[in-house]
Amino acid sequence: MRHTWIVAVMIALAPLSSSAQGDPDRGEVIAYTCSGCHGIPFYKNVYPTYSVPKLGGQNQEYLISALKAYREGTRQHATMQAQAATLSDQDILDVTAYFVSIGENES
Amino acid sequence: MNRPSMLTTLIVSGLVAISFSSQAHAGGDYRRGLEKSQVCQSCHGRTGNESLQPSYPKLAGQHEDYLVHALESYRNGRRQNAVMAGFAGNLSDQDIADLAAWYSRQEGLRDLDVE
Repeated sequence: MRHTWIVAVMIALAPLSSSAQGDPDRGEVIAYTCSGCHGIPFYKNVYPTYSVPKLGGQNQEYLISALKAYREGTRQHATMQAQAATLSDQDILDVTAYFVSIGENES
Repeated sequence: MNRPSMLTTLIVSGLVAISFSSQAHAGGDYRRGLEKSQVCQSCHGRTGNESLQPSYPKLAGQHEDYLVHALESYRNGRRQNAVMAGFAGNLSDQDIADLAAWYSRQEGLRDLDVE
């Protein structure tokens, strides 16, 4: 009886233990396009010139808010707005889950 | 014949390495960046890996020039975030360079792997 309670509590809390959602395997496929800029070390944005940011191991909620801001046009960057416009909410969840997983694999 | 050319190669590669590293970290002093980062630390952590909330980005290991660009964008209002606008608005160019130097030198973010 006691075990039943423990198991029930564990099941109830399971979703809280991991903030990462989405399917990183599906996300990896979506991320193929992203890697054309974000996968090349020290790849430069131009006008103005700065290095394209690293995404591997970044916080998922930050990445989700960034992509949605690009999609809604509240964050400015022509290329990123165009890319984000093609992504559904599920795509964004999956692709960001993949970015998070890169930090987990190697650290 | 062999020795001088070896020496020349070493000197040249050394100079190239120095010019690249000074180019990549132009202007920023990471020690001063750590001193100036007290306010940033309350949300981003000492190394930039310890985000207070998951909606705040990690900064550790991010490209130095991207961090400069982000802070400048918050400061000039091109990138809009109420919290960051308040902090970035008070930063000088030197402050931004120093903070970027500190956080970019920490172990953290990675590039995507191209396979």
